[in-house]
Amino acid sequence: MNDMRIAERDVDSMESKITARKVQVFYGQNHALKDVDVDILDKTVTAFIGPSGCGKSTFLRCLNRMNDTIDGCSVKGSIKLDSEDIYDPKVDPVQLRAKVGMVFQKPNPFPKSIYDNVAYGPKIHGLTRNKAELDEVVETSLRKAALWNEAKDRLQSPGTGLSGGQQQRLCIARAIATSPEVLLMDEPCSALDPIATAQVEELIDELRSQFSVVIVTHSMQQAARVSQRTAFFHLGNLVEYGETGQIFTNPKDPRTESYITGRIG
Amino acid sequence: MQSEKHIASAFDRDLEAIQAMIMKMGGLVEAAILDAAQALESRDEELAERVRAADRAVDALEDQINTEAARLIALRAPTAGDLRTALTVIKIAASLERCGDYAKNLAKRSTVLAQMSPIGDTAGGIRRMAKAVELLLKDALDAYIHRDIELAEDVRRRDREVDQMYNSLFRVFLTHMLEDPRNITACMHLHFIAKNIERMGDHATGIAEQVIYLVNGAMPEEPRVKGDITSVTLLDGSQ
Repeated sequence: MNDMRIAERDVDSMESKITARKVQVFYGQNHALKDVDVDILDKTVTAFIGPSGCGKSTFLRCLNRMNDTIDGCSVKGSIKLDSEDIYDPKVDPVQLRAKVGMVFQKPNPFPKSIYDNVAYGPKIHGLTRNKAELDEVVETSLRKAALWNEAKDRLQSPGTGLSGGQQQRLCIARAIATSPEVLLMDEPCSALDPIATAQVEELIDELRSQFSVVIVTHSMQQAARVSQRTAFFHLGNLVEYGETGQIFTNPKDPRTESYITGRIG
Repeated sequence: MQSEKHIASAFDRDLEAIQAMIMKMGGLVEAAILDAAQALESRDEELAERVRAADRAVDALEDQINTEAARLIALRAPTAGDLRTALTVIKIAASLERCGDYAKNLAKRSTVLAQMSPIGDTAGGIRRMAKAVELLLKDALDAYIHRDIELAEDVRRRDREVDQMYNSLFRVFLTHMLEDPRNITACMHLHFIAKNIERMGDHATGIAEQVIYLVNGAMPEEPRVKGDITSVTLLDGSQ
């Protein structure tokens, strides 16, 4: 029976990219995440779902130390990227964020040209030696983000002049220009129309051949469509983590079932 | 049924409505089985005619259940237990529709058989077999509505008894046909009836397996014990 499975749903790699153990997050007195253990696979789309305030975005922000910027936030436990502890004092968060890119809910291009939006990261990290190399990075990133054909003739026009869906793809191009290993996406489609959403979802599926993608989404249908692994968070706990098809057809935990069938909010 | 309610109460109403249709369909089919067997034993052609006419309602319910289930899948995108409910109602409706057809066929043949002399007490044997199957079907549907795995497993086990009743009827028909070739026409009809009732038992078992799938998320692993041995039985009744 197993060989009859649809190949596309399989993950390409069983290797862990990120290993989190006993992760706890406090915002002051507020215990936002409780003992989260999770292995995020390489070259796989992992979706985090759960009601508002369940800790899914908090956990996502732990993965590239975005919580460092929040006052009174403390993170305990260990998070390893390829067996390297990202909370080690020797790790430079700016370098880490080049390896673990992020795309936000609302498209937020810099008030610069399309070209400069994408070139910014490689420039400040000194990833290219000359203009020709930089041009190439910009082109490949825009191509990977499926924006090249629409943007190639207007690279010098402002990024903010693009449509919402194009802006979000520009932000994805910007995030992948530094050749990250992991791409974090915090509700990347919530401000987009259904067509732009479908384009971004198609893009996410293509990106997983190169990166590990972690996506936080409020749309359970989106999680079901794009991910191979799904993690369900509730009240700061990671309730269930497993193969997406299994989570949506036969979840093991009654809380997961209640949430995905629309019984608890 | 899951006791917790959906946030969207219309979703609960849709699911409940579809399951109510299944129960209604089950009730009609159970009555058809009992009435058809009764019509056969008491040679009641009027009752047989009523059974044949009533099958239309069963077919219409199946259509309605399929339409409602398709609509639920399209509009509510059900997941997990809700998705399995939508899938199982379609399958159970198909099983019930087959059982309804078999009962209708029994009624048809009973009209023909009423013109011939009875073959011993085989009509009584068939009525007892029909009663056993009707109980199986009732229990399978009760197991469905109460999500009762124990009862579903019990239905799977008890189908064997129906198989054994069929095996012994099969031998009786063989004996009557060997004794007097003039019995052959009636025995052939009676044998089809017995075989069809045995198939209804299999459908009841299929419904019980759907209950197990609905509750556990997987079909039962251990294969069901098969009790019908007539496919390997020789003309003299030996195996």
